[in-house]
Amino acid sequence: MTRRKEIAMLEVTTDWYLSLAAILFTIGFLGMMIRKNALIMFMCIELMLNAVNLTFISASKHFGQIEGQVFVFFVLVVAAAEVVVGLAIIVSIFRKQSSASVDVLNVARG
Amino acid sequence: MWQEVSLDFIFLLSIFLPFLTAIFLFLNKKLFNELMTNFFTLNAALLSFAIAAYSFVVLALNKFNGVNIELFQWISNPDISIGFTLDGLSGIMLILVTGLSFVIQLFSTSYMEKDENYSNYFIYFNFFVFSMLLLVMSSNFLVMFFGWELVGLSSYLLISFWSKKPAAAKAGNKAFVINRVGDFGFLIGLMIILDNFNTFDFYKILNNSNEVSENTITLISLFLLLGAFGKSAQFPLFSWLPDAMEGPTPASALIHAATMVTAGVFMLVRISPLLQHSNLASLLITVFGLITALLAAFSAINQYDIKKVLAYSTISQLGFMFIAIGAGAYVAAIFHLVTHAFFKALLFLGAGAVIHSMHHEQDIRKMGGLRKQMPITASMMGVGTLAISGIPPLAGFWSKDEILASVFANGGIYYIFWALTLGAAFLTAFYMGRHWLLIFEKDNGFEHSDINEAPKAMTRPLLLLGIFSIFIGFINTPFFHGLEKVLHVNLENVEVTHLPEGITLVVLAVLSIGAGFTGLIIAFLFFGIELHKRIDLQKFKLEYPINLIKDLSFNVLYLNKFGNLFFVSGMKNLTRKVAVVVDGMLIDGSVNFVSTAFNKTSKITSTTQTGMVRNYVVYFGLFLLLLIVLFIATPMVQS
Repeated sequence: MTRRKEIAMLEVTTDWYLSLAAILFTIGFLGMMIRKNALIMFMCIELMLNAVNLTFISASKHFGQIEGQVFVFFVLVVAAAEVVVGLAIIVSIFRKQSSASVDVLNVARG
Repeated sequence: MWQEVSLDFIFLLSIFLPFLTAIFLFLNKKLFNELMTNFFTLNAALLSFAIAAYSFVVLALNKFNGVNIELFQWISNPDISIGFTLDGLSGIMLILVTGLSFVIQLFSTSYMEKDENYSNYFIYFNFFVFSMLLLVMSSNFLVMFFGWELVGLSSYLLISFWSKKPAAAKAGNKAFVINRVGDFGFLIGLMIILDNFNTFDFYKILNNSNEVSENTITLISLFLLLGAFGKSAQFPLFSWLPDAMEGPTPASALIHAATMVTAGVFMLVRISPLLQHSNLASLLITVFGLITALLAAFSAINQYDIKKVLAYSTISQLGFMFIAIGAGAYVAAIFHLVTHAFFKALLFLGAGAVIHSMHHEQDIRKMGGLRKQMPITASMMGVGTLAISGIPPLAGFWSKDEILASVFANGGIYYIFWALTLGAAFLTAFYMGRHWLLIFEKDNGFEHSDINEAPKAMTRPLLLLGIFSIFIGFINTPFFHGLEKVLHVNLENVEVTHLPEGITLVVLAVLSIGAGFTGLIIAFLFFGIELHKRIDLQKFKLEYPINLIKDLSFNVLYLNKFGNLFFVSGMKNLTRKVAVVVDGMLIDGSVNFVSTAFNKTSKITSTTQTGMVRNYVVYFGLFLLLLIVLFIATPMVQS
């Protein structure tokens, strides 16, 4: 019984997953803020999206409801579409200025 | 049955014929020479008159029970339709307008000869006749208002016909602007009518006049009265008419003497069933008519322009008509309108003939002694002068005497009004006598041997109008009430002032004849045998008062100058201030403030838009943080 209890204490609970998702999201967000390479920023976005996906799934498991997992599929589809558009934009940026720095692209400033 | 049907539609022809003529002449302006223009316009006018006369005869056979034609209904609620009516009142005007239109156009063919805008003149003229018929033949206020505005327009066109003359252009503007003041009142009156009666139809309104309170009727009457004052050149809106004499003389004869300026009188008689319920309106009409009659007659005694004397005389005679309406003598008002139309048209055409022969000289001080050169014109002008002075048995005597007797019959304060009206009648005889003597008799030391009698196209209309001016008075005498029979349907429910009976009437008639004769005799003493030069004025100390009267009369009591100073200059200063303060500072200021405010705030807020994607990410993160904090801080709501 006592051994079982110890095993139960070491069990990976939902909190662990949520914490991991928060860490991943923060890494992605900080990457967005700090890095100026468009490609890296793009990867950061993907990281954030997947962090959110992780949150969805763990919450879905925790509450025993299916809706969270359904949402993950939506997010995956949107992410796939976003990758297509985003990569195309990045390629055209490369063609224009031969660097992927987004700071040069400030023509929309007020 | 056949007669009724034919009557229904045929009189519409005489209304629209002048309009079609105007369009026809306009379309063929380049093609027609003067002869062709004459041919079409004169025949159309004659045909129009013939149809009018026929309609009038059928109407008379129908015992003056009018017909109403509704062409179509425009709006069902409120009940607004386009319609025309032929009854005693509009029948008289129909005959008068079409008849005079023909005679005066005949005169015009000679007067306007070789004018560079010859066909334009007849286009405007026909258009005026159409507008005037629209005004008088309408069965509701709306069509009347259309006509009312259109006569204003065509009057403007004809006054400033010689628009190369600055004075003519100015006079046209003045007439138009002053008429706007009156039309403003007329329009408000119409709005109140629509509000209270829910229709514009004369018969529906006039038959239901008992349903509305007296205050409302007074209000309606006063606003309509303002319109009548403007159109009929009554005090204080009269100063446009003397200036309107810049137009061609035959046009003045038709528009500014015989027809258009009587529109106000016509309209007031039309609404007489309404007017009789308002004592205040009636009193005001009498008082203003009296002021106008006296003021204009006084102003006429020292004018030197041959047409301006007649213009002031017209204003004064219109004042007589207003006095008659105020005194409840609606038949007398229409009677005087008819007789005045004839003898004033005669006087204007005579003046036109003189101006034509004098090579467009209008100053009567440069005329004098023209009787020998222009015998027909002189005698016909003489007939007109006697008629307007009220010498029996000419036309003016019967109508003016009827007005005087009706005013007297009202009693009370009207005795004073009667005396003053008699004074105006005396002044009328005086200035008209002076007018005739200065033109045709007195030797002013100018050589006139090269002056010839006017051509036949001018003298024939003069003769025709002269005959009418003598005999037209017999349509309504104390012995034969012809006009009353014509108007009996119109005035069915109206309390008409009755003339005094027997000896009173005779005494009043003698007094009015006396006023006319005295005026003529005094005019003869001054301007015929020049009494004032034979006696020593210094001895009687009369020089100063006579000069004062001359000065005041010539300047119309300085009312025009006062009006210019007070209204024109005052209004100019006011508008200038409004332009600077209200427009410049208030309106422009607020608009500019809004635009600069947007400009500045957008400049400030747009600095946040750096264009740097990473900055936006920071904003995004900050707001996300804020949302989370809010989410945590908000207490859970129990559902």
